[in-house]
Amino acid sequence: MSAHKPRVLVIDDEPQIHRFLGPALEAAGYEHVRAETATEGLREIARKAPDAVVLDLGLPDMDGKQALEKARAFYDGPILILSARDRETEKIDALDLGADDYVEKPFGVGELLARLRVAMRHRLQRVGAAPIIEVGDLKIDMIKRLVSRAGAPLHLSPKEYDLLVQLVEGGGKVVTHRQLLTAVWGPAHTEDVQYLRVFIAQLRQKIEPDPAVPTLIATEPGVGYRWLA
Amino acid sequence: MMMDAPWVVAHVERPNAPAPSPTASARLNDALKLAEQLGGSTVVLTGDDLVTSTLDYARLNNVTQIVVGKSSHPRRNPFRKTLITSLLEASKGAALHVITEQAEAEAVAPRPARRSLASWPWAGQLGALGLVGLSTAVAFLTDRISDDANLAMFFMLGVLASGLTLGLWPALTAAAVSAFVYNFFFLDPRLTIWIGHPADVLTFAVFFVAALITGWLTGRVRDQGRAVSRRAAAVAALLAASRRLSSAVGHEAAAQVLAEQLAAATNGAAVVLTPSDDDIVLTAATPALEALPSVDLAAARWAWEKGEPAGAGTGTLPNSAWTFRPLQGGRARAGVAGVEPHAVHAEEDERFVGALLDQGAVALERAEFAAQAADAQALLRSDRLRSALLNSVSHDLRTPLSTVLGSVTTLLDYGKSLDKAVQRDLMLSIREEAERLNRYVGDLLDMTRLEGGALVTRREWVDLRDVLGAAVDRVTRRLESRQVVRDFPPELTMVKADPSLLEQALVNILENAIAYSQDGSRIEVAAYEDRANVVIAIEDEGRGIPTAQLEQVFEKFRRMEESTDRGKGAGLGLAISKGFVEAMGGRIAAASPIHDGRGTRILISLPKERQTPEQLL
Repeated sequence: MSAHKPRVLVIDDEPQIHRFLGPALEAAGYEHVRAETATEGLREIARKAPDAVVLDLGLPDMDGKQALEKARAFYDGPILILSARDRETEKIDALDLGADDYVEKPFGVGELLARLRVAMRHRLQRVGAAPIIEVGDLKIDMIKRLVSRAGAPLHLSPKEYDLLVQLVEGGGKVVTHRQLLTAVWGPAHTEDVQYLRVFIAQLRQKIEPDPAVPTLIATEPGVGYRWLA
Repeated sequence: MMMDAPWVVAHVERPNAPAPSPTASARLNDALKLAEQLGGSTVVLTGDDLVTSTLDYARLNNVTQIVVGKSSHPRRNPFRKTLITSLLEASKGAALHVITEQAEAEAVAPRPARRSLASWPWAGQLGALGLVGLSTAVAFLTDRISDDANLAMFFMLGVLASGLTLGLWPALTAAAVSAFVYNFFFLDPRLTIWIGHPADVLTFAVFFVAALITGWLTGRVRDQGRAVSRRAAAVAALLAASRRLSSAVGHEAAAQVLAEQLAAATNGAAVVLTPSDDDIVLTAATPALEALPSVDLAAARWAWEKGEPAGAGTGTLPNSAWTFRPLQGGRARAGVAGVEPHAVHAEEDERFVGALLDQGAVALERAEFAAQAADAQALLRSDRLRSALLNSVSHDLRTPLSTVLGSVTTLLDYGKSLDKAVQRDLMLSIREEAERLNRYVGDLLDMTRLEGGALVTRREWVDLRDVLGAAVDRVTRRLESRQVVRDFPPELTMVKADPSLLEQALVNILENAIAYSQDGSRIEVAAYEDRANVVIAIEDEGRGIPTAQLEQVFEKFRRMEESTDRGKGAGLGLAISKGFVEAMGGRIAAASPIHDGRGTRILISLPKERQTPEQLL
């Protein structure tokens, strides 16, 4: 990581949010840049090249999804969505459009900063992704396409393996149903969430130490799944 | 035939043909109506020749298939071609389908007894005889005075008079009797039916034929004239009824108009029943009627369910006091109308009542559609309001909560590494947001009280200057560097009001003024009185309200949708102020812009009591 403090751009039209997020981010070792409209936010992304962006979906001047699409056209860094529970579909759309994760309002700063760290770490991993991942006694070798626990190979079907890789590559951020279905089953099956229910259950049976209490694959109800390790 | 092809039922009206019997016209009407209900269109063509009219229409409208029914009646004139043969010979480019009649006798129209014969007005015949007698008397006198007068002319006059005043049949009677009398009394040998002179035979024959023709012609002219004027009267009455029906607003009004018109048309009482929850209920009656006995209701229900007449004078439940007929609208049955059985006499009346029923059915149906459309509109509006409420509650509750939670967690997690000033600022923001939340919850509660009708006003004598001062004090901390200018008169009449409600109403207006004006601007609060009211005016120097939205500022959840307006409240404040002020008998109004295209003025006026406390002392 470079010598300068990681810079976080917060785009939200509520001044009260900046009022506490500013000190919180500074205290956690980040540089806080604020923007109150989508237009201003996009300009700040271009000018300040932030290391991460926190984007409120309910902005006055532009639809949140539209703002995200515009940002993604020239910005590759992590984008975290701030959303409200009644904007469920908007949130999922934003994730599908390339947002890294989301936090629901109202939120504690601890949760926001944790998500922010995961998203930033994931971006770093992607640059030099490890070909072999070990979680406890579970070992995933992405070169040989082998999964084993305590040295004993686990027999995953090709679909189960692909699904696992998608989740692992998510690196802790939520992967939406649509993203998983498109990557594993193809674009014709983006609505077939029941496939995921079946295959995730099978995957948990094979890799989770206790499938009833998943510690590796977390469910985000109505949104997708998240790799916890 | 192709499925889904458009189809037309054509009826050719022949102006020179004799009028069809009422049963036949009724059957024709039913058939046309049935065609429309089944999705076809209907057309009435006018032309002397059935075949040419039909084929012309078919050619002009690109009709490719013609369907005709073959009548099984024996042909009256064996030398005339049947309709089918003529069509077959004349049609070009269209396929002809012939449907033969069912064997059942039921399909044949019952031929009505020849009513016109049975109901001969004997008075007319007697009148004709009287006119012939008069002619005879005049002829007799003339014969006395002059020998060579043409006496036949007098009888001809009598026949003419009979025809013009009494109609066709009396005229023919007059012609026959005149011929006999003329011969008996005035042709030699007199007082016999014999005619002596050969020339007189010719005279008599010519006279007889001329009298018959004259009687026939004048009688017909008179009858047709009568028929035309009767029909014109019926059309005018129908037009008037239809105008009243179409101007009736609402289902019940239409039913009432129909009942009145039916009662007037039948010279009796009339009732209209319309559907309500799978049953039909008495909707209108002339003269007014509370309820129908169960036997009548049963007949009405039968007419409603089967779509056929029932009750008195019909085969179904004839012991009912009414004759019920279905009101068949364009798409569905609109209800049932009942008239007293003795009320309908003549065929014209019958036809008129039928037309009235049709009009009424359409009017009822239209009222029903209008009501449905209005319901849908109201539903849409309340739906929109509900979603506005949800959005508003979600945003306005969550934003302060986000700040409180975010600030508290910041203090908990990083409190030690924060400056004292930053810590204090976070705590201040927690307090502000908690207060904002409290205000919002208070607004919601006030609104609920207002809408639930649970608002109790405790009215007491108040000095508006005090209440205004208290309201300004309550918003002082939010003023920042805005300046409040007070313009109060030294003397102000007291009014009766609920001080806490009034204070809340004023606080809401002041908060609005603060939210929509720039820091550093002036807010002016003034009080004054006229003869009947004490008035409070609150003015800001904000950007004002567009004239088009002025009337809506007091509506719920009406926040001017502009980017910078977010977080200024739910848009309930002014609605609550209006509710409170009106609950105290006052009025509230907004004016904007007030100077230089900017600023908003809210006026509250409260009525003065007749007796002031000063006078009571």
